[in-house]
Amino acid sequence: MSGIGKYFKLNLNSKTKQTSSGGSCGCGSTSGGCGSHKKEATPVQSSCGCGSSSGGCGSHKTPEISEQEFYEAAVNASIGQEHKKDGFEQVFDVKMDRRTAFRKLTASLLIGAGAVSTSCSVTTGDDTKEKAQIDWEEQFKGNYKLMTDEERNATVTRLVRSYELRKKENITMKSTDAAKEVLFGYAFNISKCQGYMDCVNACVEENNQDRNSEMQYIRIHEMKDGEGFKFNEADDNYYHEVPAEGHFYMGTQCFHCDNPPCVDVCPVQATWREDDGLVVIDYDWCVGCRYCMAACPYDGRRFNWDKPEVPEAEINKDQHYLGNRMRKKGVMEKCTFCVQRSRSGKDPACVEACPTGARIFGNLLDPNSTIRWVLENKKVFRLKEDLGTEPKFWYFMD
Amino acid sequence: MSRGNQIYLLGCFFLCSLFSCKHSEEEYHSLTDKIKGESKNYKGTTISSEAYLEGIKTVEITEGDHTFLIPERKSQITYFACTECHSKPLKELKGKEYKKAHWDIKLMHAQQEIMNCTTCHNGNDMDHLKSLTGEAIDFNRSYKLCSQCHSPQFEDWKGGAHGKNIGGWSLPRAAMTCVNCHNPHKPQIESRWPSRFNTQKVKERE
Repeated sequence: MSGIGKYFKLNLNSKTKQTSSGGSCGCGSTSGGCGSHKKEATPVQSSCGCGSSSGGCGSHKTPEISEQEFYEAAVNASIGQEHKKDGFEQVFDVKMDRRTAFRKLTASLLIGAGAVSTSCSVTTGDDTKEKAQIDWEEQFKGNYKLMTDEERNATVTRLVRSYELRKKENITMKSTDAAKEVLFGYAFNISKCQGYMDCVNACVEENNQDRNSEMQYIRIHEMKDGEGFKFNEADDNYYHEVPAEGHFYMGTQCFHCDNPPCVDVCPVQATWREDDGLVVIDYDWCVGCRYCMAACPYDGRRFNWDKPEVPEAEINKDQHYLGNRMRKKGVMEKCTFCVQRSRSGKDPACVEACPTGARIFGNLLDPNSTIRWVLENKKVFRLKEDLGTEPKFWYFMD
Repeated sequence: MSRGNQIYLLGCFFLCSLFSCKHSEEEYHSLTDKIKGESKNYKGTTISSEAYLEGIKTVEITEGDHTFLIPERKSQITYFACTECHSKPLKELKGKEYKKAHWDIKLMHAQQEIMNCTTCHNGNDMDHLKSLTGEAIDFNRSYKLCSQCHSPQFEDWKGGAHGKNIGGWSLPRAAMTCVNCHNPHKPQIESRWPSRFNTQKVKERE
């Protein structure tokens, strides 16, 4: 019957020693009748056996409580213990009943035993052990941004090996860093684009995007002539002969803003702007909260609601850690200006695939580059410039 | 607190503010400023696109301030030199005893009164193209022919706003020339169907 007396905690090295909380009342217990309790301002501490701590026993006296007291009570009721605890105490120093405690203990024991048995077993093969070892090390690696060059090489080697062990196929993975004196920029000619979507095809193939959900980084919006940019009225999934009469086409993707709002909101710093201007994601650090998706004013980010699937024969095996390597369920991804290509001097796949030459890519810091010529000689504009996001993706017309 | 202490504290505060009020993260106020500022002393990058031009025969051209590579053309034409067949004047070749050649070429480039075959080809010198004033133009530099009328496109192409890169974004710069994308006899790029349709998007938006 009595509530709190039954609770105990996994109290590992906790500062707060386990004591039976005061004010506990079970009807019929020694501490007087339920009715005799005075209602205190902090209801959590005076739990009453009648089931609900906040009155309901009928005879509770409920004196007027001040706003401050009410606030404290509300905080206590909602986040209770976590309010005062920090770090692992939030996990270990919690009240739970015996059944849950045993359940948790058993589960963790099983996991531990499993780990021990895979790593020490004489019956499992070397491959399984190596896989377990790789998974272990991958699990506890740091944020890519903070890794030293050796650590980066190590994780890339592990990922390549892991793929080999699992799929029996070899991939190459780069961890090329941003080069000096490079700032990538992109220009899109809206009078040239005809809406063929060859860029979308090339992008999907290059970047190993999920085939099941048909994820696409690039959207081509078919807009009516003379009505300006109305993205809500534009069609980005047309299927008819193009270019359609009286329409123009405008492509959007990640604009690699120089002042990226998506980076600011990431609670774990899993996305950041590199020195060459690329906004990248560490897929192994992303927790999948999708704040960045909400923060992006350009609809540039995509989320893996499911495990991305690509047929083995179609997988692009030339990969980059920050680019087109295989993602997992529950992480964000987006256009990286094909980091695996651009950092090796190639054009992104969309630029290469475009049959009309509407896409121009280059180094903004090179005064003789074609992108600079476009910026200086054509009338260029960017989307939502007033937001101050400074996208490195310009539109222009002939 | 003594006066000396106060002055000392004020001094400290002043010194601190000198350091802390600096623009901490960004030196530049806008992206344009950043591009301008950082490219002032541009010394070139270590990244090269040369590897991606391997196997592509190119010729270097200089037009105005721009020097870049374009694909070599003559070796790509199946029967070059033209004079290998065009050994006799055209009138004689038109007879019935010869197998038909170029029968599939239909000129769909401007109106008949503006252009015909001899606007660009010279019946007396089949191995070269012909400018409007009758000068010979090499087949490798056919862009010179196009630029006679299409001057805005020519300007854009030289700068890099029209046309397409070959290889990569870095140096050496190589670009497609006019005839790599446009058929000179029918330069209009035809309409067609998009290369994909997203069925999932339809489901999501139902």
